[in-house]
Amino acid sequence: MPTVSMTVNGKPVSANVDARTLLVQFLRENLRLTGTHVGCDTSQCGACVVHVDGVALKSCTTFAWQVEGANVTTIEGLANGDKLHPMQEAFRENHGLQCGFCTPGMIMSAVEMVWRKGSDLDEQTIREELDGNLCRCTGYHNIVKAIHAGARAMAGDRGPAQQAAE
Amino acid sequence: MSATGIGASVRRKEDFRFITGKGHYTDDISRPGQTYAYFLRSPHAHAKIKRIDKAAAEKMPGVLGVLDGAEMQADKIGNLICGWMIHSKDGSPMKMAPHPALAVGKVCYVGDPVVVVVAETLAQAKDAAEKVVVDYEELPAVVDCAKAKGATQIHEVASDNVIFDWHLGDKAKTDAAFASAKHITKLDIYNNRLAPNAIEPRAAIGEYDTGSESFTLWNTSQNPHVARLVIAAFVGMAPENKLRVIAPDVGGGFGSKIFIYNEEVVALWASKRVGRPVKWTAERSESFLNDAHGRDHATHAEMAFDADGKILGLRAHTVANLGAYMSTFSSSVPTYLYATLLSGQYAIPQIYCEVDAVYTNTAPVDAYRGAGRPEAAFVVERLMEVAARELGVDPADLRRRNFVKSFPHQTPVIMAYDTGDFDASLKKAMELADYKNFGKRKREAERRGKLRGIGFSAYIEACGIAPSQAVGSLGAGVGLWESAEVRVNPTGSVEVLTGSHAHGQGHETTFAQLVSERLGIPIESISIVHGDTDKVQFGMGTYGSRSGAVGMSAIVKALDKVEAKAKKVAAHMMEAAEGDIEFKDGTFTVAGTDKSAAWGDVALNAYIAHKFSGQELEPGLKEGAFYDPANFTFPAGCHICEVEVDPTTGETEIVNWSAVDDFGVVINPMIVEGQVHGGVAQGIGQAMIEHAIYDDNGQPVTGSFMDYAMPRAHNLPSFKVGMTMTKCPSNPLGMKGCGEAGAIAAPAAVINAITDAIGTENIAMPANAATVWAAIQKTQPRAAAE
Amino acid sequence: MAMTMNGEINLAAAQDVVWAKLNDPEVLKVCIPGCETLEKISDNEFQAVATNKVGPVKARFKGKVRFSDIDAPNGYKISGEGDGGIAGFAKGGATVRLTPNDGGGTVLSYDVEAQIGGKLAQLGQRLINGAAKKMADQFFEKFGQAVAGA
Repeated sequence: MPTVSMTVNGKPVSANVDARTLLVQFLRENLRLTGTHVGCDTSQCGACVVHVDGVALKSCTTFAWQVEGANVTTIEGLANGDKLHPMQEAFRENHGLQCGFCTPGMIMSAVEMVWRKGSDLDEQTIREELDGNLCRCTGYHNIVKAIHAGARAMAGDRGPAQQAAE
Repeated sequence: MSATGIGASVRRKEDFRFITGKGHYTDDISRPGQTYAYFLRSPHAHAKIKRIDKAAAEKMPGVLGVLDGAEMQADKIGNLICGWMIHSKDGSPMKMAPHPALAVGKVCYVGDPVVVVVAETLAQAKDAAEKVVVDYEELPAVVDCAKAKGATQIHEVASDNVIFDWHLGDKAKTDAAFASAKHITKLDIYNNRLAPNAIEPRAAIGEYDTGSESFTLWNTSQNPHVARLVIAAFVGMAPENKLRVIAPDVGGGFGSKIFIYNEEVVALWASKRVGRPVKWTAERSESFLNDAHGRDHATHAEMAFDADGKILGLRAHTVANLGAYMSTFSSSVPTYLYATLLSGQYAIPQIYCEVDAVYTNTAPVDAYRGAGRPEAAFVVERLMEVAARELGVDPADLRRRNFVKSFPHQTPVIMAYDTGDFDASLKKAMELADYKNFGKRKREAERRGKLRGIGFSAYIEACGIAPSQAVGSLGAGVGLWESAEVRVNPTGSVEVLTGSHAHGQGHETTFAQLVSERLGIPIESISIVHGDTDKVQFGMGTYGSRSGAVGMSAIVKALDKVEAKAKKVAAHMMEAAEGDIEFKDGTFTVAGTDKSAAWGDVALNAYIAHKFSGQELEPGLKEGAFYDPANFTFPAGCHICEVEVDPTTGETEIVNWSAVDDFGVVINPMIVEGQVHGGVAQGIGQAMIEHAIYDDNGQPVTGSFMDYAMPRAHNLPSFKVGMTMTKCPSNPLGMKGCGEAGAIAAPAAVINAITDAIGTENIAMPANAATVWAAIQKTQPRAAAE
Repeated sequence: MAMTMNGEINLAAAQDVVWAKLNDPEVLKVCIPGCETLEKISDNEFQAVATNKVGPVKARFKGKVRFSDIDAPNGYKISGEGDGGIAGFAKGGATVRLTPNDGGGTVLSYDVEAQIGGKLAQLGQRLINGAAKKMADQFFEKFGQAVAGA
């Protein structure tokens, strides 16, 4: 079995895994980081979104070995210690979640959306950018509100990928 | 109103764990020694099983068991059941076919589980499943519910595939009302089949402990106690005291997680067979095959009017597709949850409804958000809108003329509406929608080449399900009360154990708000415990918008008892007469004195029991209650949808959604509005894009999110939500329930708006761009040719 | 999930040659996309194993292939059904007609009717027509080479 090594939420990790192991399985089963969820098997629902080197990625359709050496952030690593990330705060403040299952993927996608699109997001942009994330509970109304507010609160945060590119 | 009491939009207590990825859903749980189950399912819609050869699979690496239905029967594991008895017109009981958890002898739909493979890893289980050989002899498949009667027989018990032919109301009197009518509006409606698609797929972990000879089941359930009851009493897995069911965080239900499913029963049984915990988590493609679908009704309906536009009667004939087997509550959906709501918000003197329920070779159909009531609202509200157009009357005006205006109101179909103000919600919705300027907007849209339409849906539903004696007389196999236990700790913090179960509804917050308000203690000092049969007393679970009206009423009852007991303790502490003790904002006082005792002191004294004789007053402060509702509750409201259709493509945009609902007393407006948003989204999904389709051979062709259109953020508008309030008289808090309203109201509002825009009634759900475009071509062939 | 497809191709070989090749299991084995084994079990029946992919679903089909309505050397019906394990099943048939063309070659026309079920239909149904067309093209490309080389 091949060895995969990467940095997850700031900690270096390494394991021998079956070559078929998906990134989401590696996170959930090997590292027991169960905040990243699986909601479908066709890359449609976005419950599995994580950041790989600052880019949002669906971990259900990525092999663990494909992100060898990368910097992976999951929902568990988004907060700064006890201090919630502004997007997490915004989801709570705006009731942007109900059952919570799609929420980790939603928040990870939303953060990266702000990195790519800036912190002044209009409703149409948010709705279009959410195309890869399904929610069955909220009707998206409060998710859109939450992302709008969370983006404002993130003003100035251009994200690791953008910073590296500059 | 306190900051955390009734009526406050308190931010949710449960959110922290969800936004940080620390929730505990079933698939997040790993048991020591856990193994994995993979189900080999029928690829055929209808076939006899001639032979199952498991030999090669059993030799595969990591395999611990390859088990089939015959072995399950040999172990005396019983069938899944439907728990609501319906009788046909002739008095005969519904024809419930055996529903084994693993198929025996034949398969009846694509996805019917045939063999389970248990292995050390999921990959090994799948690899081994490849080696199982099942010989099938294919049989013709029955797919279309309208053609099911008399087609190829699916089950021995139902010779013509009809499960029951049931009716409600007085046929002769209704026909007489129609005979005297000035105008009759007629409609043929197909209420499209839906896949529920909670984003968390169903999952189960079964574990057998040989020492205590007891089972534990972790599963994605809306009602763990009902699951335990059915699996113990009917499936016969183990007695209830030897079966613990835990439904931890559950990622959405919408009805689909009420039912007792094959896989959880098999996971339990297999765990005993292989001597290790057995875990199964559905892949989404399995969810599409096996989660009970919703709706799938074909209805012909007619409404009769007199010369003044007053309704004289309504009659409907519905064929309901219940799929291949009768799911847990399937029979109640097209009957007592449907026909009893056909009076809508209107005073209708006569109603008659006939329902034929049929078997087909498709996934079982059962309750899905609204369950019967969306189908009823769609019939009534489409009839009203079409009638208004035929009669040349403003649709709001026709509704107003026929509204029930005095309460209580007994409908001809069982329900006794206790309160409401339908005029008020209509009026407020029309203001929110700026109805009076609609004409201006329509003309403006025309200038841009767009067709603009507006549609109403003045729905009513029956929630707070339900008075046990009443539902018992209608065939329910269980009582529909709810339970609560309020445990006060010696330090004054409180645990509430509830038989309700939250899977997105926010009970940990709203239930705590009630306790905070009543006991005057901080919301942080209150924990809500649910979802574990070993912790919580028997309860009925969450569905039918019942957790507020029924579940919280049980908590109120328990809190009443806690307060009464605490007053006794306080009386001893302050050496006063019990009758002189007053309790307000967390403090006990003696009337007319300055003596007081804080909540925490009283709680502590209840437990240390130094200030009173334990012979006269029991120590401790913990009370339980069972609350049985006195009536259904009747949430009602009016939703107005405004659309713009592009006639060249059929593309339809919802440009305005105005929802005004009367849910009675609201505990947390933020959460209630969220429930409305979600319900409306599912209703819009049904009306415009969602449809679970089988081909003529019974193969599902909408079997993934690639083919089944789920509402995405860009399909939906932002919603304007308003409320009116008439207090529900039948429960102590005056609550009615809010979980299903949006899904019940929305489909008719959307279709009424689209038909208004395009000028034809002849359009079926889902009214997607292709359907709308085709309907426009039929109505305006000349315009299209230009 | 039912699927139909028809077409015709011109082969640069005489009709009797084409007919012989159409009845030669070794030729068919080479030409059927993904075919691993094709073993004769009676005069007109073969046991076959083939691996094929439709969209996201890959399956190893095991089943029988039969010739019927044999009208030598003008055509036959070839039909079969394959069990693809957890991927589902495929079954169907093709009516094949041979007629001589003006250039001394042969026109082969085919009329295919097929059905898929299970996961193949659930996930692959939108792609089945394209997949079938591709397989037919592959078959006839190889078959054309086989008869030309004769």
